[in-house]
Amino acid sequence: MKDERRLIADTLARLLTDQCPATVVEAAEAGDWPESLWRSLTETGLTLAGIKADLGGGGGEPRDSLLVMREAAKFAAPLPLAEHFMAAYLLQQTGQALPAACATVAVGDFRLEGSAVTGEAAEVPFARCCSHVLLLASSPSGSQLCLVPRQALEVEQRNNLAGEARDKVKAAGAKAEQLVQAPQEVQGQIRLLGAATRTVMMSGALEAVLELAVEYALERKQFGRAIAKFQAIQQQLAILAGEVAAATMAAQSVEAAFAALDEVEIAIGKSRVGEAVAQATDIAHQVHGAMGYTREHPLNQLTRRLWAWRDEYGAEPYWQQLVGRALTEGGADQLWQKVTARS
Amino acid sequence: MFQGLTFEPFKLPAETEALREQVRGFLAQEMPATLLPNSDFGSGESPDFSKKLAARGWVGMTWPKAYGGGERSFLERYVVTEELLAAGAPVSAHWIADRQSGPLLLKFGTEAQRQRFLPKIAAGECFFSIGMSEPDSGSDLASIRTSAVKTDGGWLLNGSKIWTSGAHQNHYMVTLVRTEPPSENRHAGMSQLIVPLKDDKVTVRGIKNLAGNEDFNQVFFDDVFIPDELLVGKPGAGWEQVMSELGYERSGPERFLSAFRVLVEFVRELGQGASEAQLALVGRLSAQLVTLRRMSISVAGMLEAGGIPATEAALVKELGNRYERLLPEVVRLSANGALSPRFMDTLNQCILHAPSFTLRGGTREILRGVIARGLGLR
Repeated sequence: MKDERRLIADTLARLLTDQCPATVVEAAEAGDWPESLWRSLTETGLTLAGIKADLGGGGGEPRDSLLVMREAAKFAAPLPLAEHFMAAYLLQQTGQALPAACATVAVGDFRLEGSAVTGEAAEVPFARCCSHVLLLASSPSGSQLCLVPRQALEVEQRNNLAGEARDKVKAAGAKAEQLVQAPQEVQGQIRLLGAATRTVMMSGALEAVLELAVEYALERKQFGRAIAKFQAIQQQLAILAGEVAAATMAAQSVEAAFAALDEVEIAIGKSRVGEAVAQATDIAHQVHGAMGYTREHPLNQLTRRLWAWRDEYGAEPYWQQLVGRALTEGGADQLWQKVTARS
Repeated sequence: MFQGLTFEPFKLPAETEALREQVRGFLAQEMPATLLPNSDFGSGESPDFSKKLAARGWVGMTWPKAYGGGERSFLERYVVTEELLAAGAPVSAHWIADRQSGPLLLKFGTEAQRQRFLPKIAAGECFFSIGMSEPDSGSDLASIRTSAVKTDGGWLLNGSKIWTSGAHQNHYMVTLVRTEPPSENRHAGMSQLIVPLKDDKVTVRGIKNLAGNEDFNQVFFDDVFIPDELLVGKPGAGWEQVMSELGYERSGPERFLSAFRVLVEFVRELGQGASEAQLALVGRLSAQLVTLRRMSISVAGMLEAGGIPATEAALVKELGNRYERLLPEVVRLSANGALSPRFMDTLNQCILHAPSFTLRGGTREILRGVIARGLGLR
C-alpha cells in the first residue's frame, strides 16, 4: 500500500475506533443518525476523498474513496459514504461541485418539468439522514441529474436487513436546486459505481469477520483448551481465510479498475466477493457459536451488512452474466486469451 | 489483515507478453492433433512433445546458461507453464524435473550433479520423479522408513516409495530416505538421494488409478547401491531441503487449472445458445479463475523477489484445488441437451481424475493446517 493510502486507512481506523463503536451502529439502526460522526469525517476531508479539490473534494485518486469505504465497512459505519461520494462523482463529471452536507443517490422513475421533479424511487440509501438527494429525471431535453433538498421530498422509512436506511423517496413537484444534463450511460455508471462500492465494503467487512472469528477461537475455551486448538475449527477458519483472501484480491482489482470504471472488472469483483459471503458468514457464525447469534455481539453488525450488500446494485447472477458474456464473446478458443488479458 | 494473507497485486512484466505469443504460436503448431487437450499436469506424457518444448528453451528456462538453462525470470516461466496447461498440452514427462528436481539441484546439488543432470533435463531428455510417500507414510512424511545405510563409497538403499507418478517412464527419482534412525527430532536424519530408476535392484510396479491408467507406481529398493555422488545436499538435511521447495510447488497455475479444459469445452458446447443461467455459471467460474490467477501471480512476484510465502502458497493451492473440484460438478449440472463426445470425454476425464487434485502436493487437510498456522491458531 502506498504511503498516502496507508495514511488514509490509519486516520480512518483511529477515528472510527474512537467514534464508531458497536453502540453507535446499534443506535443508528434504531433510528439515531450519528450526526457528529459524519461531521468528524467530513472535517477530515475523507468523505470526499478522490473528488477534485477545486470541486470541494479531498483530492487524490478516485480509488481513494473506495479505500475509505472499505475501512469504514470494517466498523459497520452507518453512514452514506458510498452514495455521498457517488453524488459528488456524478456531478464532478459535469464539472460541478456537490453543495451538500450529506447526499445520497436515488435511482427510480422521475420526470422533470421546468425545475420541478415528480416521481419515486425505492431503496434509497440513508435518504432520511441526508440534506440532499441526487436523482436522475427524464425531461424533453434528455436525462437530467437533479439535486433536490431532502425537505422537498416525501421520505418513507424502510431498512435493509442490516437495519441500514433504504428509504422510499417520493417527489411531487419538488424543486431541484441544481440541474445538469446527465452524461450518456449515466444509469449504467450509477450501477457500476454502486457495485464497486459494495464490493470493497464487503471485502472490508469480510476481513473484519475473519479477525473476529480468529480472535474468538483463541479466547474461547472448551474441553479445557482454546477452541482454536481443535483441528475441526482450524480447518474451518482456513477455508474462511481463503474466501477472505480471494475477496480482498478481487476488491483490490476493482480499486485498480475504478478510475476507468471498467465494467468487466467491477463485474468480476462483485461476483467473486458476493460469492464469498455465504461461506464466510456461515463459518464465522459457526465458530462463534450462540454468542455470535446474539444481537449484542458485534459479529452480526458485519454479517447482516454482508447479506444486504451482496444484493445491492445487482446480486451475483447479474454480474456473473455480464462476465460470462464478456469472456465468451470470442468463443471457446478465445476464453483463455480473455482471462490472461486481465492480469 | 493477517500476515501471510495479503496478496499484493502484481503485474506480469510487459516482456512476458511477447513470450506468451511465442508459446501460443508453438502450441498452434505442435499440439498433438490426436490428443484430447487435458489441462491436468499429471495426465499427458509425451517425451516427444517435451523435447520439442525444450528445443525452444522452455524447459529449465530459469537456470543458468552454463547448465543449459535460459536465464529467464521465474515470471517468464510462469507464463510458459500457464499457457501449456491452459492449452491442455502433454507436459507430464518433464514436469517434475523442470519444476522441482532441477531447482533442487541448483540450490543444494554439487557442481558435478548440476553438470551431469541439468543440461539433459533442459534438453528434454532426462525426466525425474519424486519419491516421498510410502505405504505407511502419507501426509505424515516424517514417519518414512525407507533407509539408506552408509557403506563404502555410497549408500545401501532399502524400502519402498508409493504414488510415484511417472516412475515407469522417468529416469531418476529424488528420494527422501532415512539416513539415521528416528530420534526425538522427527525431522532430523533424513536425506535426499537421486535413485536411477533403471537400476536392476529397483523394481517399479504400476498401480492402476480409478480411471484405469497406470500413471503412478510403487517403487521397491532391494539393496540398491547409491554412490556418494548421488546424495543431494547435506546428509540429514533432507527435510529442510524438501520444505524449501513448497512455495514453488503449491502456488503455480497447475493448482487451479486442472479442470480448465472442461470450462473451455462447456463454452464450445453452449455456442450461441447459452441460457442466462449458463452464462452466469461461466461468469462465476471465470471470476473465480481470474481472481485465483491473480493470487497465484502475486505469489510468483513474491518468489521472484526472494520471499518465502508459505502461507500464501498454501492458500492458493487450497482455494485452487477447491475450484478444480467444483468446476466439473457445476458444469455437469448446467450442461444439457445433446452433448458432444468431445465435451463428455473432457468432463468425464476430469471427474475421474478430480480426487487426485486435493491429494497431490499436500492434501487439503495439510494445507488448511498450514493456513491455520499462518492465522496464529497453532
